[in-house]
Order: sequence, then C-alpha cells, then structure tokens
Amino acid sequence: MLKAANLIPQKRLIVVCGVVVILMLSLIFRFFYLQVYYHETYKQKAEVNRIRAIPLNAPRGLILDRNGEIIVDNYPTYVLTAIPGEMIDKHKNFQIISKSTGIDISLLETNYKKYYRGKFLPARLAKDLTFDQLSRIEEHKQELTGINYMQFPERYFPRKINAAHILGYVKEVDQALLKELDLKDNYLYGDLIGWRGLEKVYEESLRGEKGIYFVEVDAYGREMGQSPDYKKENPIPGKDLQTSLLISLQQMLENLLDGKRAVVLVSSPKTGAMLAMVSKPDYSPDLFIGATTVNEWQDIISNQDKPLLNRMTHGLYPPGSTLKMITAMTLMEKGKVNYSETIYCSGIYELGDRHFRCWKEGGHGKMDLEQAVTQSCNIYFYHLVQRLTLDEWAEACKSFGFGEMTGIDLASEAKGVIPNSTFMNKLYGRWGWSKGHLLNLSLGQGELVVTPIQMMQYINIIAMHGAAPTLHIAKGNPKISSSINHYSHQNWNRMEFFLRKVITSVHGTGKRANPGIPGLIIAGKTGTAQNSHGEPHALFVGYGKKDNELVSVVVLIENGGSGSETAAPIAGRVFEFLFSSKESMKLAFSS
Amino acid sequence: MIQLFLQKFKESTLSILAIALFLTGVGLITLKSISTGHEGNYFQQSFYKQLFFLLPALIVFLIAFFIPRHTIHRYIYGLYGFMILLILIPFLGEEIASTYRWIRIGLPFGFQPSEFAKWIVVIALARYLSDHNLEMNYFSVSIAPIIIVLIPASIVLNQPDLGTAIIILVPVLPMLYWIGARPFHLFLMVAPLVSILTAFHWLSFSIWASIMVYVIFKAKPNLVFSISTFFGNLFLGLLSPVLWGLLKEYQKKRILTLFNPEIDPLGAAYQIIQSKTAVGAGGLFGKGWGQGTQTHLKFLPVQESDFIISVVGEEFGFIAILILITLFSLFILRTMRLAYNVDDRFSSLVLVGLGTIFTAHVFVNFAMTVGMIPVKGLPLPFVSYGGSFLLSSYIMVALIMNLSIDPKDY
Repeated sequence: MLKAANLIPQKRLIVVCGVVVILMLSLIFRFFYLQVYYHETYKQKAEVNRIRAIPLNAPRGLILDRNGEIIVDNYPTYVLTAIPGEMIDKHKNFQIISKSTGIDISLLETNYKKYYRGKFLPARLAKDLTFDQLSRIEEHKQELTGINYMQFPERYFPRKINAAHILGYVKEVDQALLKELDLKDNYLYGDLIGWRGLEKVYEESLRGEKGIYFVEVDAYGREMGQSPDYKKENPIPGKDLQTSLLISLQQMLENLLDGKRAVVLVSSPKTGAMLAMVSKPDYSPDLFIGATTVNEWQDIISNQDKPLLNRMTHGLYPPGSTLKMITAMTLMEKGKVNYSETIYCSGIYELGDRHFRCWKEGGHGKMDLEQAVTQSCNIYFYHLVQRLTLDEWAEACKSFGFGEMTGIDLASEAKGVIPNSTFMNKLYGRWGWSKGHLLNLSLGQGELVVTPIQMMQYINIIAMHGAAPTLHIAKGNPKISSSINHYSHQNWNRMEFFLRKVITSVHGTGKRANPGIPGLIIAGKTGTAQNSHGEPHALFVGYGKKDNELVSVVVLIENGGSGSETAAPIAGRVFEFLFSSKESMKLAFSS
Repeated sequence: MIQLFLQKFKESTLSILAIALFLTGVGLITLKSISTGHEGNYFQQSFYKQLFFLLPALIVFLIAFFIPRHTIHRYIYGLYGFMILLILIPFLGEEIASTYRWIRIGLPFGFQPSEFAKWIVVIALARYLSDHNLEMNYFSVSIAPIIIVLIPASIVLNQPDLGTAIIILVPVLPMLYWIGARPFHLFLMVAPLVSILTAFHWLSFSIWASIMVYVIFKAKPNLVFSISTFFGNLFLGLLSPVLWGLLKEYQKKRILTLFNPEIDPLGAAYQIIQSKTAVGAGGLFGKGWGQGTQTHLKFLPVQESDFIISVVGEEFGFIAILILITLFSLFILRTMRLAYNVDDRFSSLVLVGLGTIFTAHVFVNFAMTVGMIPVKGLPLPFVSYGGSFLLSSYIMVALIMNLSIDPKDY
C-alpha cells in the first residue's frame, strides 16, 4: 500500500508551515520582551532583590504516656548559618562571630566544611545559641553578610524517666544518609529523622510536614521582610504519639533497679499494651542530642555493663525454671502425666553416667505435678520430660512464641534460639547429643536462649489461656493480631491453679511476689538460671488479677541469685504499685 | 551492505542531523554549567549521564535509519500493540514521585516507555490514513484515527502525564488536515475541549462563544447541526463548573496536579517567576557560562530537564535563544517541506506527524519557561537532560531522514 501517491495541495503546506512560523515568532517576541525590552527590570530583580525560600521546620510530634503526660517534648534552639555565596570575607566573618559570642573559631570552620552543600545554600555554623549570643550577632549584622540564624526545634526530655531504649533517638540527615533515603520522602540535609526505637517506628506520623516562607533579600543578603508575591505555607506539626506506658510506674522501677543489670517488663495481657519497660543499666535519652562530651561517650562505650544494649529485646538469657510450664502443659495435653503419680526427689538424679541435681539439697521428697510446679522440683521434671521427644518439646516452645520475634513496635528484636533435633545434629553431630540435653533444656538451661520480651509474651499467653494480642507500646496500635495456642480449657485452668499455688502455698517459691492486697489474685513462677557469668540470673514471670483487671510482669536480674528471693519481691512491688488503691488502678487501667 | 548504507546516508537530508547534533552540544554545555559550582556530584552526573546516553542514541539512530520503509509500514500495527502493553506496565511497578511513568529493570536509571509512544502512534496513524482511500469530506472517517490516538493518550494521561498525552494527541490534527480533512471538522474535534477549559473564566468563555458563532456561520453546515453544535458546546461549558463542584477534594487535586505535574513544594508560581527572572536577567548576551546567579541559586528543581532554557537564557542571552529557536524552526520547516516533496503518502504523513511532535515540544517548553502557558512537564528536544527522550528524539531524526529519501531499493 506504499504506492498511495502523495498529492498534497501546496496551500496545505503553506498553512502548516505558517502555523509553525507564527508559534516560533511568538516565542521570539516573548523572549525579546523579557530579555531585551524588560532586561533592566529583571536584572535589578535578580541582583538587588533575591527571593530566599526559608523552610519552616515542623515540630515533631510529642511522645506521651497513657494518661497524656509528656515523655518526649520539643524545645526551640537557634542555629547560626552562613550562605557561602553571600559572604564577602569568610575569615573576617568568623573572627567577628567568634569574638562576640565566644564560639571557638575552629569549630566554625569545621562545621562550615561539614555542612557545606552549595554556594547559595545555608551551611550550619553553630547550634544552641543563647539569646545573649544572638543579640551580639545582631549588633554586628551590618558586617556579617551572609550570616543568619534560625529556629530549630530539638528533642527535649522532661527528665523524669530514661526509657532511652524504647524511645530511641533522632539524628540529623547527613550527606551519606541522604543518598540512602527515598527521594519521595522529601528529607533535606540537616533534617531530623527518627533513628531508633519509637522515634524510628513512628517516624512517618511524628515528623509532620515542613512549611515554607519567602523573604526578600538585598544584595548583601540582608533580609528585607517577607515577600508579598508568594504565600507562606505553615508547617504541619507531627502527630503526637500516645503510648500505653505508665510514666509513674516506669519511674518507680527505674529508680528501684538503679545500679543493677536487670529487665522489668509490665503489660496488660488483654490488649498487649506495655505499661513499663525497664532495661538497666540505661543512659539518659539526650545522649544522642549532641550535648555529650567525648569523655561521657567513652564511659558509656567502655562500660562493661553495656548500657547501650536494649536487654528487653536483644538480651539473650536462659529462662530457667520459668519454662517448666511448657513441659507441664505439653505433658498434660498429650495425656502423658497422671496427676496422682508421684516421683521421689532425693536431690539427685542419675542418667547414664551424668548426675542431675535438684536446686534443693537433700531433695523435696515425694512430689506430684502440683507440688513439682509450686516448689519448682527439678527431679520431677527430669523424669517426666523423658516422655517427650526433643522436637515435641521444641514445637511446644514455639507455640508459646519462643524462637520468633514478638512483633512489638520497636525497630528490631532478637529471635533467640530454641534447639530442635536438626539444630542439635548440626551442633553436636547425629550421635553427639542425648536425652541428657533435653533434661537440661526443659529446665530452661543449655543451648536455649530467649529475650525478656518473649517471656512477656509467654506469660501473657498463659494468662490469657492461649490467645494473647501482640505486644505494643503505641496506644491504639492497629496491628493487633493474636497468637493463639490451642490447649484445652481444663488444662489452662489447672495450670493457673498451679501458678497460684506457687504464690500462696507454704513451700511456694513465689511467696514474695504477693503484696497481700485483699482481692488480688497472683499467679507466677520463679526461675534461677545458671550461667557462665557467675551468680545465677534471678527470674520471675507472673500476672495479677483484681476487679477484672489483669497485669503481667517479667522480672530478670542478671546474676541476681535466687528468683524467689531477688526477682519475686520486685514483681510484688509492681503489683502493690498498681493494685494498692482505686486511684492507682484508675491511672493504670483507664483507657 | 555498508556501501549501501553509506549511499543511503549520503542521499539523506544531512542538515536535519547536523542541527540535532548541534543542539545536543548546546545541551551538554549547559548541563556542564549547571554542574559547576555545586559540590555534590548529583549534578555532575546529569552531564555525564547525558554524554553516556549519546552512545545508545547513536545506535538506535543507525537502526531506525537503516530499516526499509516497507518493513516499518508492515510491522507498525504490531509495534503499536506492543507499545500499548508497555505503557501499561509501569502501573504494575512502583510509584515514582506519585506517577507511573517509569519501568525499572534493575538498571541505575529508569526507562519511560511513553516517550516512544509518541512516534509509534504517528506511524500507526500514517499507515491507517494512507492504506485506506478515505473520503475526507465526511466527518465520520475521522473517528478511527481519533481512536488510534485516544487509547494511548488516555493511558498516559492516567500515569498521570498530561504533557506526553498532549504530544500524542496533537499530531492527528495536522495529519488529517494534510490529507484533506475539512478545517471545520478539525474545529469540531477541538471545540468541546476548549469549551470545558474556558468555562472557568467568563471572559475567555464569552470570547470562545463568539468565535464559535463566527466559525459555524462561515462553515455553513445545515441549521440543525449548527444550532446543536453551538448549544451543545455552550451547555458542556456551563456544566463543567457544576461537575467540578461535585468532585471530591482528592479528585480535584488529582486533576489539578495534571496541570502542575512537578512535585514542587515551592509552588508553580514561584518557579515561573524565578525562571522569568533568570531569563530576563540574561539580557542580550547573557551573563556568561557558569555565571548565572539565578540558575545557581537552585531555585528551579528541574533546571536540567524541563527548565534548561532558563539556564540558557540567563547565561547565553537572547542571542542564544534566537539561534536556538531559529534552528528548531529550520529543522521543523525542513521536515514539513520534505513531507510535501516525498513521493508516497505514508512517508509524507509520518514526516508531518513527527514535525508536529517537535513543534509541540519546542513551543510548550519555551512557552512554559517564560510563563506563556501553565507548567507542563515537557522537555526540550536534544537540549534537555533525559535518556529516554534523547533516544526517542534521535529515532525520530532517523525516521525523518530515512523516509524522506526517494524509495529505491532501500
């Protein structure tokens, strides 16, 4: 069909070309008008009056406790900036600034180099200027071309609590970071970005949206006031983050645990909301704001107790006897235990050529399942756990949330290790491990390690009889999914009965967790976990109920000795704090 | 074969290629200027990236130049179908700057298939209009060509990319006119759109209504048709503000961003004023290479692509602008002249379509830089930074040169 001849009347060519010529001529006239006819006007506009766009930083959302009390606040600081292309004599400027404000000139030089981003973009010279310093700079404003100051909201902690591991911190967006960030998110050099903890997880809603306004600047870079040509856009402040934390409880626990290496977690099992989260030793949350000296830094980094480590989510511990409920539940559920069956505890148990000891020297004597749980008899469990295979036991641990992340709204957490036969084969070879290992593991010792936050979820699953919502810190977290553990109702009730006995029975190991408040029912389990770092870790997991309110507690004191003597009393303090009066309960449970 | 190729090359209109290469050089010089004075390496990259893209541009140029015209003619419908699929693909991918224009295949740069839709649509349309012996006196014959352009244009409009959608739509008018469509029919095609757009400004709408009366009067169709056309358009215009009011806030915002597609926190008005100031301050001879203060203030977020002319205007002055516009005009007029002279209808229509694409690009880009029309994200051929567009432009140059030769054996 290419043969269709091309017969176009010349008139059509002329019309088409005519349209093209008219369009192009209109462009030429327009440019002539701007560049030649009106050149002087625009030349002046460009040289005399420059419009400078000044971003208005949006204040970050505050972080609040469950009753609206402020945990993390903002306060305005002033920063000093220099526009390289507008400075006439950089060195002289720096000398004047240094002389009038007392800021070291070498600091100005270093910052200038560090924050330089372009000839006409402000580079930051100094932070946290006082009003006195500002007024001195204002006095010299005539000489200081290209030097400006602006407000910059910074994080501020009213200092009642540390909670640094949960809150996290913000950091400044620098050159390297800017490359990694998505352009779409519109971060600018020098902006603050949530970098750890809640600040990171809820960055998107906390940061808000920047505003902008335009000022006219004369040839010397002096601001001549807001430009009438452009509309000012106000920043949209970040949304406040309301957490489920109870600031008074957090404060009490932080003080109580001072000087220890310990974790205490308190939550509401019904919702998964965290009430208090303490990891000790900790550090002041303003550590990363920049007021920290090199020495302080060195102290923290070289501290053997690792204050920067978030023990709640990244500390890996043997759970000790607190794990016995898993073995007991699995045995009951699989019908492998007879409730009247007794085992004689002589304090020592021999398997092959190995000796396993009970924590009580001389032994407990005759034990049934109830007594074995309440008095935490090891020998009983050594006998009975042999009715399970390692994989059955490991599977049960998984169903209680161990070996997996809990999904709490913190930026990261460790998974821990739950050994199964594949794991043990890899570690010791096909024939390198035996029942003896299972004996050890079922007591929460050996190759298995868990995080305290997993233990929190574990006790919540027990408290809720199998269905516990995901743990979370932000109030109204929409991601509530339940972890469901299908055991029979009867067995859950039986387990609760045992755990209450741990607290109430004469020989119970958890007696000290009971503050003795009328109407308060407590169920729990202690643990004393052997480890290679000296004294055993003291543990307590449990929950308390009163007037339809439910609270669960995990206490872990590193090298604290006996769980019954060291950990249980701290749980007692928590229950006392929350349940002692109507007012305290109202503060803790009203939503 | 090489000899054949050289022979074909010699016979082609080399001035077209010469202008294209010269303009590319101007673009590179300008990109280099933008990169100087900035410490970051991002802007330097746009210069080197553009330089790097010249190589694939040369390769696709040679391919498009050497393909015989009957091959192009035979496979264009298939290519058209493939292109429709291709411009649908970005919708499956990730959103970049809240648009769906890009295909990413693991390379450090994205690929924008809608760039290639422009000339594929023109060729497909040219085949349709030359294959069938159409009776251009009837309005109904224009329906199929309109569908051919409307399908890709509406997909691209949803990306959303108004600029490219317009470029895909516009060539159909001169191409229909070229083969004898009545101007009044073309007027009827454009009228509803103008009615809707002018409806928001009563003076423009009144002027438009008067123009309609005049044109309909001059064309002298039958009375019923005249009246229904006039009042139909009037009604459409009056209805559109009402419909606008019924839209949800986010729907309105979506439509408005079509007219201002750049993600621009500073506001479009600000950008235009800065651009005009830059151009105006350039004067007759400009401030010199690398000396534009407005340019280097980085007031224009897309100065290396859509707003490159404001950099040229500030640093090289009106003389440079005049030279650029003259060169573009020569390029386009030369293409139209070739379309007039070429022997077969298919090639002629392709040339007219491609000439129109270049005209629209050049006019819209220059005009928006100085605030004659609202901001549309359209780059300037050869000069603006952008890989896909550079490739596409050189394919179009190759097609113009290829199809304008007297068809012998090649």
